[in-house]
Amino acid sequence: MVLLGTSAVSYATGAAAPGADSSRAELFRPVAIVVRGDPAPHLFTPYPDGAPDELPADHLHDPLYPDVESGGVRVRDALTQLVDPRARVVVDEVTHPMAGVLGPFDLGAAGPLLGPAKVRKTSDELACIRIAQHINERAIADVQPMLRPGVVPSSLTAAFLRRIFDLGAHSVGIDPIWQVMPSSLAEGPWTSNGDVAFPAHDPDRVYRDGDVVWVDTSVHYQGYASDFGRTWIAARDPQPSPRQRSQFRQWLDVLDAALDECRPGATGGELCRAATAAAGGRRPWMDHLYLAHGIGTDLGEMPMIGTDLGEAFDDQLVLEPGMVLVFEPVIWDDGHAGYRSEEVTVVTDDGWASLSSYPFDPYEPVQ
Amino acid sequence: MKARDDVNPGSVRLRVERRNRLLGAMADHELDALVLSRPENVRYATGARQLWMSGTRPVGPACIMVRATGQVHLIDVSDEGLPPELGHDTILGRPWDPGLLLAALRSVPGFTDATTIGTDTSSPGLAKRLRAVAPDANVLDGGPAIWAARTTKTADEIALITAAVTIAASSLEAMTDALAPGVTERELLGVHLEHIASLGAPIAPTEGVVCVTPHSGPVALRRVASDRQARDGELAVLDPGAMVAGYEGGLGRTRSVSRMTTDAQRDLATRGRTALDALLAACRAGATGADITHAWRSTSEPLPSVPLVHGVGLGVEPPVIGPGIGDEAVLTEGSVLSVTSWVAEPGVGGHLERDFVVVGAQGPTVLSPGNTDA
Repeated sequence: MVLLGTSAVSYATGAAAPGADSSRAELFRPVAIVVRGDPAPHLFTPYPDGAPDELPADHLHDPLYPDVESGGVRVRDALTQLVDPRARVVVDEVTHPMAGVLGPFDLGAAGPLLGPAKVRKTSDELACIRIAQHINERAIADVQPMLRPGVVPSSLTAAFLRRIFDLGAHSVGIDPIWQVMPSSLAEGPWTSNGDVAFPAHDPDRVYRDGDVVWVDTSVHYQGYASDFGRTWIAARDPQPSPRQRSQFRQWLDVLDAALDECRPGATGGELCRAATAAAGGRRPWMDHLYLAHGIGTDLGEMPMIGTDLGEAFDDQLVLEPGMVLVFEPVIWDDGHAGYRSEEVTVVTDDGWASLSSYPFDPYEPVQ
Repeated sequence: MKARDDVNPGSVRLRVERRNRLLGAMADHELDALVLSRPENVRYATGARQLWMSGTRPVGPACIMVRATGQVHLIDVSDEGLPPELGHDTILGRPWDPGLLLAALRSVPGFTDATTIGTDTSSPGLAKRLRAVAPDANVLDGGPAIWAARTTKTADEIALITAAVTIAASSLEAMTDALAPGVTERELLGVHLEHIASLGAPIAPTEGVVCVTPHSGPVALRRVASDRQARDGELAVLDPGAMVAGYEGGLGRTRSVSRMTTDAQRDLATRGRTALDALLAACRAGATGADITHAWRSTSEPLPSVPLVHGVGLGVEPPVIGPGIGDEAVLTEGSVLSVTSWVAEPGVGGHLERDFVVVGAQGPTVLSPGNTDA
């Protein structure tokens, strides 16, 4: 197995690499070659300081640079040293310099092997996700009081990024989203499916009193992602209206209905139907996203429940202990914006447990 | 100082010029269509602001450009961040279902008739999926056309890179101010990210911007920020970057944690600067990667394990020149390079310097601001 993707290499090797823009993550990518029967993966990295301590010295190699012209040959030479030319090799990406020289190898797709391997988390993986989520939420607690009229999103981002690294985060997952929501879909932004435009962040917006702000942040710890989502109100003393509190209560009802079905053996389809029934028959999530998604070394990974892959796909998706689900239902109340939060949960032997603990303030003030 | 990430006085001109360059390169390389996966290529083709995520993305069509129509099409949902000159017919939706994705590609005018399709990268099965939509298509390496368009920078692009260098230089000062015994590498990374975000440029090209080096024992350049504390008298590598409208700028300097430098540290700094000057002088149009490594070797410094030179523009670009890589690369006039020297001395520490240069016919023009010697 030859792995080039950031999250796949992280999963296969445990190697750390500095968080980076996609362009750098491509050209200076660590590469993993996993050989069946060999207990340790081979790691080819520009960041040897990120190699895990337990990696045998003869499994740590110079970088391959598979995205530049002479890098393809380096990949081929590395592979030739490790496996027989008749070996079955699966890959997650074939750069053009690789494609030109890997002709003799029978290349298949790595995804069908990686996906099932990642889907059930070990207790160590859960600990990493829990810590990432804890760091994320502690930093958010310092940022939330800053959301006032006249403030710009970049001020929130600046404070958040400073705080997560003080708290021990290992890298940033996404550019934090602090998106002002329109009252109605007609106010835009325009979308191809007519649904709510999210994420569709305007980093230069100045917050006005009463703005409804959907927040979405992710930080990584030991390669594992967190996912924080809440709805806030920009105000000195935010007080949701009765209508806004009602939106939140509907959101809680939808979440509770989905969680009531959440146990080993339940299907994704059952969760979707429970959530939809609790919302009065209307699907309470965005058409272009999902009711729930998995999380691990990717911010969004399988299982994904409620996508346009359809009901048959959701029905064959059976929950198992150790699956992590991030529920993100949406209550859209056109003309009055809406409510969205995210709840990170793990499927346990007999139900589920929460991995997030942040309050729903100001919709449900902290007692 | 405040940099908007996606809007600048030259932005419409810049976007139109980039699309025209791509269309011209597609004609020169006889590509009927380009299918782009990588965020930086999508940005080059469309100018659309996308949600920034750390790391690589899965391979799959994110943007389609058709030569016959001159149009770009985005696998995306909303028009937020879409340049005003592109209409809603640019937006194709973003399905999870592979069948729906193929249907979206089929709806792109002119795409099904393409006989040559270039891609920026590939995966097992991508070519087959594209041929399911464009049955007569030869699916080829789009890299030569993409880099023919992207390598030489326009004046607008160089202005954006320079703006990013300026933000990085400002962050270097913020990190220098925060550098004191007891501060950790990770805290300094937080200072950097806070600073660039407060200037309106929250995207860090990399989080590998700090390395405190020991003044006893072996010295290595580490790029993964750790909880290691800076100690009095040590040298700290500060190598910040920033992005403006996707264009990367940066500069690297080495500072003493105690603000008092020893003779040995000054000697090391002189070696590092001398080596950087040798590299910079070699950055001429037509020079090869082998010429660059030869320039380094002529200083008698041991060849560092890190690349000496790499291209920059919308992030990192080819060439990558360093130990065992890029000897055959040829430097192009009008391209921008990040040039790095790294020297180390056991018992003293390590010294890194990095400058950005424009490759000119008459030699390199350094984009780094002012005199920021250690």
